[in-house]
Formats: sequence, C-alpha cells, structure tokens
Amino acid sequence: MSATSNTKEASGRFLELRNIQKWFGGVHALRGIDLRLDLGQAYHLLGENGCGKSTVIKIMSGAIPPSAGEIILEGETHSAMTPIQSLSAGIETVYQDLSLLPNLTVAENVALNEQLVSGQGRLGRFFDRKRLKETAEKALVTVGLPTSSSFLNTIVSDLPLAARQLVAIARAIATRAKLVIMDEPTTSLTRREVDNLIHVVERLRQENVAVLFVTHKLDECYRIGGNAVVFRDGQCVAQGPIENYTKKQIAELMTGRAIDSARYRTAEPMDGELFSVKGLSAAGVERLDFSLRKGEILGITGLADSGRNELAMAITGVSPARSGTITLDGRQVTIRRPADAINHGIGYVPEDRLAEGLFLDKSILENEIALILTRLCNSFGVIDKRAGRETAARLSEEMRLNTKDLDMPVGALSGGNQQRVLIGRWLSIEPKLLVLHGPTVGVDVGSKDTIYRAIQALAERGIGLIIVSDDLPELLQNADRILVMNGGKVVAEFDAEQATEDRLYQAMLTSKLETAP
Amino acid sequence: MTTSRLEELQQGAAERQSFSIGELVRRRPETITAALLVAICIIVAVANPAFLQPSTLVDIGRASVVMGLFALGVLVILAAGGIDVSFTAIAAFTMYSLTVLVQNHLPGLPITVILVIATVGGALLGVINGLLVHHLRVPSLIVTIGTQYLFRGFLLSFIGTVWIMSLPPQMGAFGRLPLLQFESANGATITLPFYFLVLPIAAFVTWLILNRTLMGRAIFAMGGNANIASRLGYNLKKLHIFIFGYAGALAGLAGIIHVCANRQANPFDLVGTEINVIAAVVLGGAKITGGTGTVLGTILGVLLIVVINSVLVLVGIPSTWQRLVVGVFILLAAAFFVTRQRNK
Repeated sequence: MSATSNTKEASGRFLELRNIQKWFGGVHALRGIDLRLDLGQAYHLLGENGCGKSTVIKIMSGAIPPSAGEIILEGETHSAMTPIQSLSAGIETVYQDLSLLPNLTVAENVALNEQLVSGQGRLGRFFDRKRLKETAEKALVTVGLPTSSSFLNTIVSDLPLAARQLVAIARAIATRAKLVIMDEPTTSLTRREVDNLIHVVERLRQENVAVLFVTHKLDECYRIGGNAVVFRDGQCVAQGPIENYTKKQIAELMTGRAIDSARYRTAEPMDGELFSVKGLSAAGVERLDFSLRKGEILGITGLADSGRNELAMAITGVSPARSGTITLDGRQVTIRRPADAINHGIGYVPEDRLAEGLFLDKSILENEIALILTRLCNSFGVIDKRAGRETAARLSEEMRLNTKDLDMPVGALSGGNQQRVLIGRWLSIEPKLLVLHGPTVGVDVGSKDTIYRAIQALAERGIGLIIVSDDLPELLQNADRILVMNGGKVVAEFDAEQATEDRLYQAMLTSKLETAP
Repeated sequence: MTTSRLEELQQGAAERQSFSIGELVRRRPETITAALLVAICIIVAVANPAFLQPSTLVDIGRASVVMGLFALGVLVILAAGGIDVSFTAIAAFTMYSLTVLVQNHLPGLPITVILVIATVGGALLGVINGLLVHHLRVPSLIVTIGTQYLFRGFLLSFIGTVWIMSLPPQMGAFGRLPLLQFESANGATITLPFYFLVLPIAAFVTWLILNRTLMGRAIFAMGGNANIASRLGYNLKKLHIFIFGYAGALAGLAGIIHVCANRQANPFDLVGTEINVIAAVVLGGAKITGGTGTVLGTILGVLLIVVINSVLVLVGIPSTWQRLVVGVFILLAAAFFVTRQRNK
C-alpha cells in the first residue's frame, strides 16, 4: 500500500484483487486483474461475453480459486476463498441463473442461507423457524414482494420469472451484506421493477454497502451511476466514474472496435404477402390478426405476460393454437406440432437457447445438421457425412462463427456464437419464415452486431422474419414494423422508423391499465 | 411498489389458500397414496370382513418394519437427488456377519449392543457409498449398483453361505419380545412385537432431521440443484457422507431386525427387494428426480405395498398377482402426479 493512500479511503476499502490470473486448461481467462471495491460505492462491470466477468465474480464469491494473484479482503490476504468464507465476509451474489433452489419455499430461499452462514456452514443444528420467517419478511418488503404466509410458503418453481429474480435479490440483502454482486439482475424485470431495484441499490449504498453490477444494459448503469469497470479479453481496460464515458466509448472499449448503433434495416420488404394469421387464439392469445410480406421483418413486443411468447409458440407449433387460420405463401397450413412448422418451412429460435435449442455437448457440426438428417441420408439410412460437413461449413461461414473447428462442442462457445449456430441450423432447411425469440438475450455488443447483420441478410433473401423481443432498441434498429401486444391482443402498431422507445413503452404500459378489469 | 404483476402475485397467493383438490394433490402428493390405501382397505374389508380383525392389522404392522426402515433411508437419499440400490446388500452383510460373529465368538453379547453394532456397521458401509459418490463424481445409481455387488460378493465369498437356522438365544428372544399381546376371538394369541416400535421412532427421527435441522434443509437443497447448493455454501461432501451413512445405518438396523423376526439368517436374503422399497417411496409421492418427498408419504407408500402383498390373498386373488397390482398402482399414481404437474 502506498504512503499516499489516506486513512479515510482505507477505511472504506473492502475488497481488493491484485494481479489475479486464471487459466482454464490452456485458456488464459484472466490476465492480471487489479480491482478495488470500496464500501458504499456502485460499480458496473462491463464487457463482452467471454471477457472474464463471470470468472472474476466466481473468484470473489469463492466458487473457484484463482490460478495466481492475491485477494485482499478487509485487510487480510487470501490466495483463494471458499463460498462460506466469502459469504461470512458479507459478499452476496445474485447469479444470472438466480441460483434459487426450485424445490424450496420462498422463505427458505431468502433466509435459510443467513443461518447457514452464521453457523459457519455447520449442518448438524436445528434451524430457527421464527428467525427464518422474520428475516425473509424483512428482505421481501425491501424488494417489494408480498410477505403473506402463503407467499412465504410458495415453492419457488411455481413463481413467475420476474418474482424469482426479486427473490434472488431479497436473499442477497437478507444478511448484513457488505458487497452485493448482481449478475444481470434486470433481464426479466419490467421498467417499474427496475425502478424499484434502483431504489434498493440506493438504499444499500447509503447503508455503506458496495454494489457490483454486471449488465449489458448501459442505460441502467447511467441511471444508477458510480464507477465503470470495463473488461476486454481478461484484462481491465478502463476504470472510472461512468459519467466520464459515453455509451459509444464504452461499447468501443468493450469490443476494441468502433460500433455502429445506427439502424441496421436499410432494405425494403418485397412485394407479395408471405404469411398471415386470422383470428388466431391460443392460451394467452385472443383472436389475433396480422400479416407479413416477403423479406419483411416484423417486431413483436409487450410485457412478459402480454401473450407475445404464446404467440411465437402458437405459430411454430410448440404449443399449438386453439383456433384461427394460418396462411403461408398463399396456402392455408395446419400447425399442430413443431414438426408441422418445420415441414412448412417455419423455423423457431427459442428464447432459452440452452434449454430448448442446442445440444451443448454435441459439436457445431452435429448441431447445424440436426434438422436435415433425413435429407442427408442415402437410401440405406446412412448419413452422408461429407455433405453434412459441407453444409455445416457453409452455414458457419454464413453466420460468421468465430471458429473454423466444426467438431468443437457448442457448450464451449460464447453466447453470441451459440445463438449463431442455432440460427444457422434453421438456415439448413431454407425456411420461408423464421421466428426469433429474444435473439440477443445475454449476448454482448459485438455478437449482437453480427447477429443483426445476419438477420438483415436473411430478409434480403426474401425470408420473412418475426422478432419477438423486449429489447426495444433491437426492434427499432432491425424491424420494418413493430406490433405491441397486451392481454393477448395487438394494442398498437408502429412503423419502426418513426417509433421511439418511449412511445413503445407507453403502448406496453398504458394499454394495460385500459384493458384491466 | 404497486405494479399489476405484484397484485396478481398477491391474488395468486390468496387463490392458493382457497381449497382445491388439485392444488392439494400437487402440493401433498401423498394424498393420492392415502386415497389408494383407504380404497384398497375398503374393498378388501367388504369382500372379506376377516381383514378388519386385529390379527391382520398386527400382521401388516409387523411386516412393514423392515421395509419401512429401508424406505426411510431411500427417502433421505432421494430427497437429496441421489438413489441407492445397495441398502439391501448392506443389510444382508451386517445381519449375517453379525449373527456369525455373535454365534461363534461373542455368544453373550447383549441385544442392545448387537443392535448398536448393526446400526454403526451399516452406517460405515453407507459412508463408503457416500465417499465414492462424492469423489468419483459418478451418479449414485452406478456407484450403489457397484457396491451392492461388492458387499454381497464379499459376504458370500469370505463370510459364508450357510443358512443359520438356530439363532443366538438373545436375538431370538428379541424377535419374540411382545409390545402388545392379546387373545383373538378364536382364542389364538396375537402379538405385536416390541421391535415394531423401531419404525415409528425412526420415522420421527427422520422427520425431525428433514424438517427441523439445517441438515434436512441442506438435503433438499442438494436435491433441488447440487451446483447451486454448493455455491450457496452447503458442503456437499458432508451431505453425501451423511445421507448414505444414515441410509446405511437404517439398513443395518433393518437387517438385524429381519433376522430376529424370522429367527434365521439367510445370507442370500433381502438383496433383490430394493426395487420394491424404491417403489414404495415413489408411491409415497417422492420424485425419483429428487428434491421432494415426505416421511408421511413414505410410510403410506410402504403400508400400501405391504397391504397389497399381504391381503390380496384374503379376497381370493392369487399371490402371484401382487406384482401386477403393484405395477398398475405405480403407473396410476405416476400418471396422476404427472398430469397434476402439467395442469398447474
């Protein structure tokens, strides 16, 4: 410690990382990270997928040890920490996957850990049920969740995603935390819930708690304020008050290249109707009509419960429609199951690509040709491997994958590349219509750019695209038209070139009040 | 915060409080088990009133002890997301080795010490399972298939294969020691043996561990998602050792009670009944994928299987049909649980 660091600063110092290195096999994931976190401050850890953000978080929370370097926690030097050490020092993490235990109740998820940590991880003890309830109630009030006993006893897997996210945050603040790490805490929250979260963060900072955010949503970082920490390729490339940087500067620091945030959509839809639905009803969708031209990109948005997800699943056969007609290329089609949609040339890239889309332990090759196996077979049912490899190579090229190794397991790729593999797979059936559900969820700026360019190239080939997303800039930059859904209906339609984020939000929220009983 | 979604949540919470059979079954799947059990009892009682005699009930109670002890161990392991098929081999190993030991070397050993040794011995063998599961990072099904062969092979190769027909006297006496004794209408003496007490005690202890201790919550946490549990600071090694050790202890105890109750020690006994036990636990509402299950449900599941096994004869159904009926019930219950899950 240098002699210039004055005592006032030293008292606020909580956690310091010095020259932290981490190798995973031959991959050098962290190349000497120096980072200092002071109490009462907010930090925003920014960077592309695979830049080492999650690795740093795991090291701080004790989930993995660093390969080299020092962790200085409240003046004490460690070479690595265990989860219990980290937790009892007051480091709480809200993981991106939320890390909730799906089979336990809300109260147990929120407050059980406090008792585990205060007992230093010893298990042979009775737990205090009264304290469990009190701790849970206090934390739930703070994040704005109900505290009725029926809510406390709800099994977490029965909760909607947004409530789960808040439960995970409640757990982090249930203890006397000194550092709260939040890994993409707002992905499934509505604007009001985000506002509330920002208040919670404000309160934590006043209570002298340090907060470290990991997020892709730069707007929220500016609203919260504090310090930006930008990572690139396992190194820290910038650190300082976030207001000193513009969005564009941060994006350039993250990617190391200039990013164009202008509209990607330059082409016009072609003549001729490609696809239309009339009177479509499904669970959560009521008598919907809309149509799509060849080469048109249609954006569909709305709150999580607006019916947009159900619509996507109905037209792709994942959960089929109850009634209504679907017309594709002038012919009426029946879609009862995903196989029907595929046969008609309708592709679906689901939101949760890990759970619903990709075979993570299989190679890029096997993932890319999964839909065309029958076509690749000869009359004896043997797969023509060479043709498969050629197709996969062509698709990877078209989707600009950052590796040429087709035998690499998809699980080893970054989120952006995984998404490109998934879209590439659908190109193998030469679809007429592609439904993309949240195509860039959890994908970094650089990958977004590539995915958007790929989407535009598809539209120029005459493929119709429907993008279902709550990333409004994404729709504004890419779509021709944007439909706003609410309560299972389309409540507004915008020309994407004229629309703004605010007007879309207005439509999503105000119509909700009007249609409410 | 007053978003509409929150209000919906609160409304949802209120709805949950209102009574609904579907919701009850979803949250307490053992309701189905109880209903099946009651239905069978009513059918059998109507077809043959002899079922309601105290002697039948005592028979059922006596027959459920060994299976119940096994099932409690399986419940704890299932709740933690694992599975164990070696417990019958552990029971066979401890009961036979201990009987041989007492008969040949320590004839005067008091029964309480014998019971303690059986329990501790079973626990040690269980701990071997736990350590293997933890350190090999192999699914517990594979590990316990391996150890089942291992324990049984060791028993038959090195300890013996002789059927012991005359037990050491203190063991035989324990098997006959009455808890309740009364005369039935036809003058025969009906005895509820003392060892029956072990089952309710073990059930209570298991309930206490699962529902009131941090260990119990940690077991369910691991069953919910082991990676997350570890990230939250639960020590998975301790948990593996505990759950397999506990199941082993119950198995060791069950083994020695089995010997005392049957007044013979057959080294080829018990192994092969593990599917029956796992079926009972699953019929009791525990998910085979882990993270759920209750002591009450498990005991109901055991009673259901025991009742089917012992009373079908009373209504004139051949005993060879028992498996058929159990199979149908498992499929029925499973179908019911699954539909409830989907409907939610």
